[in-house]
Amino acid sequence: MPEPTGVIHDIGYQRYTGPRLGRRQVFGALYLHGVRTVFGLGRSAKAKIFPWLVVGIVVMVAAAVTAISSQIGQRVMTYAQFADSMSWLVIFFVAVAAPELVSRDLRSGVLPLYFSRPLPRADYPLAKLLALATGLWLLLGAPQLVMFFGAAFTSDGMGAVWDELLDLLPGLLYAGLWAGIFASVGLLVAALTGKRAFAAGGIVAVFLMTTPIVGTLTILPSETVNQLAGLASPSTLVQGIGIWAMRDQIVTSLDGGGPDLGPFGPVYALAAVALIAACVALLLARYRKVAAR
Amino acid sequence: MSTVAWITARGLLGRRRFLLLLPLPALLVALAVLCRGLGVAPANWGPPVLVGLGLAVVLPVVALIVGTGVLGAEIDDGTVVHVLTTPLPRWQIVLPKLAVAIGVSAATVAVPLFAAGLLASSARLGLALAVAAALGAVAYSALFVAASLLTRRPVLLGLVYVLIWEGLLSNVVTGTRVLSIQHYVIALADRLAPTELLDTTVSVTVAAVMTALISVGFALLAINRLRSFSVAGETS
Repeated sequence: MPEPTGVIHDIGYQRYTGPRLGRRQVFGALYLHGVRTVFGLGRSAKAKIFPWLVVGIVVMVAAAVTAISSQIGQRVMTYAQFADSMSWLVIFFVAVAAPELVSRDLRSGVLPLYFSRPLPRADYPLAKLLALATGLWLLLGAPQLVMFFGAAFTSDGMGAVWDELLDLLPGLLYAGLWAGIFASVGLLVAALTGKRAFAAGGIVAVFLMTTPIVGTLTILPSETVNQLAGLASPSTLVQGIGIWAMRDQIVTSLDGGGPDLGPFGPVYALAAVALIAACVALLLARYRKVAAR
Repeated sequence: MSTVAWITARGLLGRRRFLLLLPLPALLVALAVLCRGLGVAPANWGPPVLVGLGLAVVLPVVALIVGTGVLGAEIDDGTVVHVLTTPLPRWQIVLPKLAVAIGVSAATVAVPLFAAGLLASSARLGLALAVAAALGAVAYSALFVAASLLTRRPVLLGLVYVLIWEGLLSNVVTGTRVLSIQHYVIALADRLAPTELLDTTVSVTVAAVMTALISVGFALLAINRLRSFSVAGETS
């Protein structure tokens, strides 16, 4: 029997000896990638059509509002009212963005790859949620900034600009509230299915079917039910908190206007917190055990 | 019943996720029963429930999910190739699928609308709503089946139509109602059972002609698009 002649060649394999980034960097990368996905950045032109269609419409409306109010010399709508009037577009934007964030990963079965990194279970959905909320906040905040600059450059004196700024800040806060609630509900629905088409349909169905419930509850013959009706739909829930916390920003017409909350303002705030908490808890439960395929 | 229709119906109804469609019509009936039970005047609850929920949300959303599901889902996961490679003329693929989509969405929407209309005023209103919703389901299904052949993201395109065109624009710019299936359905139902509950600016003739035109036009467009259909991998 001849001696074995095989040789093990050193072809230069090396261990990685550089710094290993930890959980924070993974979370940060996931978040940043999520925000880019929401707007279709780093993706093909086709993926950019729908998000930027919505962004374009929203900014155009803001520009039109700014132009009109600078022409007639008085405010057409406040910053917070702007968010309210864009609710349909926000729903559409969530239906576009949320399935892109979570449904694609579920469908292509790459979650085991994510979780083989130093990434705790909870971080993945939380990073996605934060990314979607950031995207929504930018969607509602950027047009408000357009309106602010429009108003700031047409007003006279620094005092007026300062007053505008004081109006803008609650508007941005209010946009954050919109973003938080719509992102958590939308992402939860999207995380249930790997099919983007079904996820988008489901999100729209959930948001749209709740609005007529409010409409019906407000005409029932009970004052308490009428005042609590807004709890039934995310958009009226946000509006209710707005009316409770910053009434002068939401309601501008002199004859009252807006739904009557009665003494239940704090209930709306509690309900919003409970809604977000419930959605996040369900989302975490959803990702506690995910099938590889 | 052709094999294509059979396969489509099984693919649509045999899945658990079809049950997700049921809460929408159930909610419609539940709200109608609630309002009726508490003795609210139909003039108050009719418009938000029948039109605001039934015709503006349940009908288009169900038709959208079903209409893009019959063909779009197969295109999405690539199994449409198995149907396309059979020696079937394209119209024999599109029309059975369209028929299934129409049947399922019409049944899902017309039954609760009939119940709600019955509770609101009379059996005549219920029938009128059911018939008009079925006609609307024909038009919506043709539109959404054609949409799933025109683009890889048919649901989003359909949502643009339902949310932005019908929802946002036709409330602000009333002229766009001439091109809105929702208002055709309202006009047709109002013609079949004239009540105070339904209100639109579109005339019945326009509604009838446009519904027929949209149904036939988009069905032909879908057949034509499937003739020159190219199978591609999932794009981003």
